[in-house]
Amino acid sequence: MNIQIRPILTALRRHKAGTLLIALQIALTLAIVCNALFIIHQRLTNLSVTSGVDEANVFVIANMWGDVGQSTAQVDAQVRADLLALRQLPAALDATPASGYPLRGGGWDNFVTMTPDQTKPTTDAAVYTGDEHFIGTLGLRLVAGRNFHPDEVMVMGTQQAITPSTAIVSKALADRLFPDGNALGKSFYAMGTTPSTIVGIVDPLHRQGVDQWSNGYAGQALIWPLRADDSRGIYYIVRAKPGQLADAMREAPKALYAQSRLRIIDPKDGIQDYATIRHKVYDRDRGLAILMGIISVVLLAITAAGIVGLTSFWVGQRRKQIGVRRALGARQRDILAYFLTENFLISATGVVLGAVLAIAFNLWTVTRFEMDRMSMAYVGAGVLVLLLLGQGATFAPALRASRVSPVEATRSV
Amino acid sequence: MLKMTHLSKVYRTEVVETYALRDFNIDVKEGEFVAVTGPSGSGKTTFLTIAGLLETFSGGEYHLDGIEVSNLNDNARSKIRNEKIGFIFQAFNLIPDLNVFDNIEVPLRYRGMKAAERKQRIMDSLERVGLASRAKHYPAELSGGQQQRVAIARALAGSPRLLLADEPTGNLDTQMARGVLELLEDIHREGATIVMVTHDPELAARAQRNVHIIDGQVVDLSEDPRFHAAHAAVADEAHG
Repeated sequence: MNIQIRPILTALRRHKAGTLLIALQIALTLAIVCNALFIIHQRLTNLSVTSGVDEANVFVIANMWGDVGQSTAQVDAQVRADLLALRQLPAALDATPASGYPLRGGGWDNFVTMTPDQTKPTTDAAVYTGDEHFIGTLGLRLVAGRNFHPDEVMVMGTQQAITPSTAIVSKALADRLFPDGNALGKSFYAMGTTPSTIVGIVDPLHRQGVDQWSNGYAGQALIWPLRADDSRGIYYIVRAKPGQLADAMREAPKALYAQSRLRIIDPKDGIQDYATIRHKVYDRDRGLAILMGIISVVLLAITAAGIVGLTSFWVGQRRKQIGVRRALGARQRDILAYFLTENFLISATGVVLGAVLAIAFNLWTVTRFEMDRMSMAYVGAGVLVLLLLGQGATFAPALRASRVSPVEATRSV
Repeated sequence: MLKMTHLSKVYRTEVVETYALRDFNIDVKEGEFVAVTGPSGSGKTTFLTIAGLLETFSGGEYHLDGIEVSNLNDNARSKIRNEKIGFIFQAFNLIPDLNVFDNIEVPLRYRGMKAAERKQRIMDSLERVGLASRAKHYPAELSGGQQQRVAIARALAGSPRLLLADEPTGNLDTQMARGVLELLEDIHREGATIVMVTHDPELAARAQRNVHIIDGQVVDLSEDPRFHAAHAAVADEAHG
């Protein structure tokens, strides 16, 4: 095959408009597709994040009280009665009260400091509250220390702020606070001036939110031994016996209504298993990934169509020239190589410009939207995709060109 | 050098067969300057395209420089076109996007020749046609006569065994045509084999030998008074 780069470049300089338009189209496509692929990959990675919960068997009940004027003592009595009823369900393994649950989509977060007067927080952590059944009900893995004792569990009424003296933390939080290890028995501050001493470590335990900005500390969470008896409502988390999730979900509201009718459990989404919770919380991620995928495919298709169109136009325009080249000794594969090389040179210009644009666009999103830095692997993959796309789109018209007969040289236009 | 025996070229459609060449016989010896004449549609251009391996023929035999070409594949035909044949077209057929130097370089690149040798040959052939100073010019910046000289330089650069010219002065005025013709005569005197297709009897008379084609067959011109008249005119011009 005879590659003629200099004459091709010379000829392209005399067709600047078409050449530049296609190169720019390739550059913009690369810049957008690289970032889109990066976002898609990020979002798809989110979908498979580990919550730490025994998701196959756990469900959550959002219980709102019918009488919001109840005292904390009245609410606590009702909560205790409800929990007893839930734990006695034949299909249930355990149940716990909670102020929130992993992958809820948002909830209670606190800054964490090592000293009470520290102005700049050491880190940030999701805050869960529950009783001594919390770890067992969620199916969390206790990797160090112990569970809460029943007598450690405190009652926190509406708009009260109580800081228990003990806490169980996720391993990610323990490692962040105490990088040298040995977090057990050590204290931190997450609310006010009362320290909480770490008595247990679980691993993993995802925070409630799944926003992109919190990815850096997604696994940092603490559990306080609290029954948050808010007069407006409470979450009950129930763990069903293996294979009995549907039964437990069906029986749980009946058991609660049997305790008291003064409550509201939304029939639509008041009881959710973890498949539903996970699906809902990542709905935006999934949607964004699909949207980005569609945009990428459409852009790539438009770019491919542009290349096919321009190359076909050029082949038609140069039919006689191709015939002359064939008459002068070009083989079919020389003509094929000519057009593929020509496209490669245009595409190479486009991808170089596109790579710069892609990185600049990513840096802009990093500073403007606090997104992550894109790995250069995405740029490399994008460059490869665009170059292959260019060659693929050129191949059919170039093959047609290679089949132009040398006798075309003798035709009078 | 070029020998066609009982050669035929048939264009077939579903309902009709048209013979462009029929029982066509010609033998061009090495070093000859042959003019091929004939009226429009007689088969001159078909003969030239077959002689130049630009298209295939339907029957008969064709030997070019001792090679029987009827069974050659496309690559082999391309190689022969590139190495043994130089084309001069009526419409010059220079590539408008390339300058003079690059135009002449086209067939040399297809031969895989080294850059230094290419450059040497290009400059030699440009010197030969008197256009060495125009190497960086584009075809559109040259006159018709100069473009045809570039086309001749392109044909000469590869040192072909055979020059095929298709109405080489057809697009030129009289003065430019004379210049191109004199150049071809010079090239012939230096030993080149030239086959020139033309419909101009005066031009044909400048050739060493004439072959006349009518209805796809070679005919004997010795009985044609126009041929003798043209020859006489050329002789007068030479003496006067």
